[in-house]
Amino acid sequence: MNNTFSIQRFGLLLKRQWLEFGKIYLITLAVALGVIITFYSFATWNTIFEQRLFSERLLNFREPLFLIFGFLFITVIASSYFAHLGQKSKAIIDLMIPASTFEKFLTGVLFTAVLSTVSFLVIFYLTDLAFVSKLRSIFHNVDTATSFRDSYGKVVETRDNLAFFFTRNYPKEFTSVFLLTPVFVTSIFLLGSIYFNKFHYIKTAISVMIFSGIWTYIIVKTGQTMFDNKIPINTGNGENISKGLIELGMFSLLLLLTAIFWVITYVRLKEKQV
Amino acid sequence: MIKINNLNFGYRKNQLLFKNMSMQLSTGHIYGLLGKNGAGKSTLLKNIAGLVYADSGSMDVMGYDPSKRQPALLAEICFIPEEFYLPSVKIDAFVKANAGFYPNFDHPYFTALLAEFDIPVAQKLIDMSYGQKKKVIIAFGLATQAKLVIMDEPTNGLDIPSKAQFRKIMASALTDDRCIIISTHQVRDLDNLIDTVIMLDENKVALKASVEEITNKLCFKRVKEIDDKVIYAEPSLAGYNAVLQNFHDEDSKLDLELLFNAVLAEKNKLKPIFN
Repeated sequence: MNNTFSIQRFGLLLKRQWLEFGKIYLITLAVALGVIITFYSFATWNTIFEQRLFSERLLNFREPLFLIFGFLFITVIASSYFAHLGQKSKAIIDLMIPASTFEKFLTGVLFTAVLSTVSFLVIFYLTDLAFVSKLRSIFHNVDTATSFRDSYGKVVETRDNLAFFFTRNYPKEFTSVFLLTPVFVTSIFLLGSIYFNKFHYIKTAISVMIFSGIWTYIIVKTGQTMFDNKIPINTGNGENISKGLIELGMFSLLLLLTAIFWVITYVRLKEKQV
Repeated sequence: MIKINNLNFGYRKNQLLFKNMSMQLSTGHIYGLLGKNGAGKSTLLKNIAGLVYADSGSMDVMGYDPSKRQPALLAEICFIPEEFYLPSVKIDAFVKANAGFYPNFDHPYFTALLAEFDIPVAQKLIDMSYGQKKKVIIAFGLATQAKLVIMDEPTNGLDIPSKAQFRKIMASALTDDRCIIISTHQVRDLDNLIDTVIMLDENKVALKASVEEITNKLCFKRVKEIDDKVIYAEPSLAGYNAVLQNFHDEDSKLDLELLFNAVLAEKNKLKPIFN
């Protein structure tokens, strides 16, 4: 018997974890869906049902809602995943399940980093699609005119049929960093769920704030010490460094930190005592 | 099956619960683990199951180190804790989700045990009483056919008929390749069930002996007066219930409660008898 990984055991563990974790997960997903629909309904009610005038600012809440609520959703899911191991009655049964620590950890990563992120994207996208489609069907005659001055000084005017709702703010640069961010965030909260025995979410959030504060302080102070009274010799505002290189650097840093958090989570799970 | 060698364990660094504890447990036995509150009964069971890690010393369970929590070993351990949580599902769903981890899980035996324990199978686990849940988890644990069965206070929460059923089922569950360890402070529940007594006291094993050995070496009887042959005695209605050294090969029935109190009160007198 392979004591580290077996695909059959892993499958069984996923099924078992769904039985334990699935209910909390589905309830959280339903709440998230409800909140998203409520936001869209409040914002578009007058426009859709009372045929008020269309405003470009109508759906301005989408980006903050996606970012803030998406962050809350994936972090709540991640911080509840190993939370039961803080309770003796639940921890004993769970730790005695004949699956390896690696399989238990991998299941946690799959549920938190992959499933929660993908499901939030799906419910947000579908809700958004539904409301925007409705708006487009009502205001099919409305054009959006946008004029701006291009880099040559020429005034350019664009017109579209509310199409910008589907295209704007799509990250054209640093895409890899955007894609990795939810995985990084969930890795922190997954660690918090096993590190603390109670109040996992709040304790993790406070720890992140403290560490971020210390990190920022160290960076700023180091920068001051290194560059105080020095004259910059390159005035190109960093344009000589390619964006691709910056993206690669940021991606690598996030990946490294995610890997570190996962390793610590794995070790904590391995060393968990009841 | 289990070899404990110089085990040192404590929840705090300066306060050891076990000091250089050594012991061997073999298959084909039902061990009764007794001790005062806080003596470390549950902790010893957790050490054997790999739920806590020893400070030093070694632990060998069926050739594995339990602290590594390897699936091959976990599949051979059935641990019934005193406090446990069962999810809000019906028994069928619970079995579907968990039985697959145990290659030798015996479904007909599980069904038979549920019937014997009179469990309402259509009910959700969360809606069951504590005693019913305990019976479900005992039935599941025995149906896994695990070679090592560890039970921490299994009779807590069971009603009187269920305790009798439990004793009957446990007696029939013992096979030559199985080792059963039951920890309890309700010694009467283990009457006629256990074949070996392990008593913990003052950081170590105060007594480990089979029932046969105990009744060969000690005699449990009622006496009218206490003399210097009596090792330990407790007043009763018609004199004293006493523990004496069995010099004349007298047959007597082991009184676990009396033995337990005798070990705690007169360990210096009993120690040379069992060494």
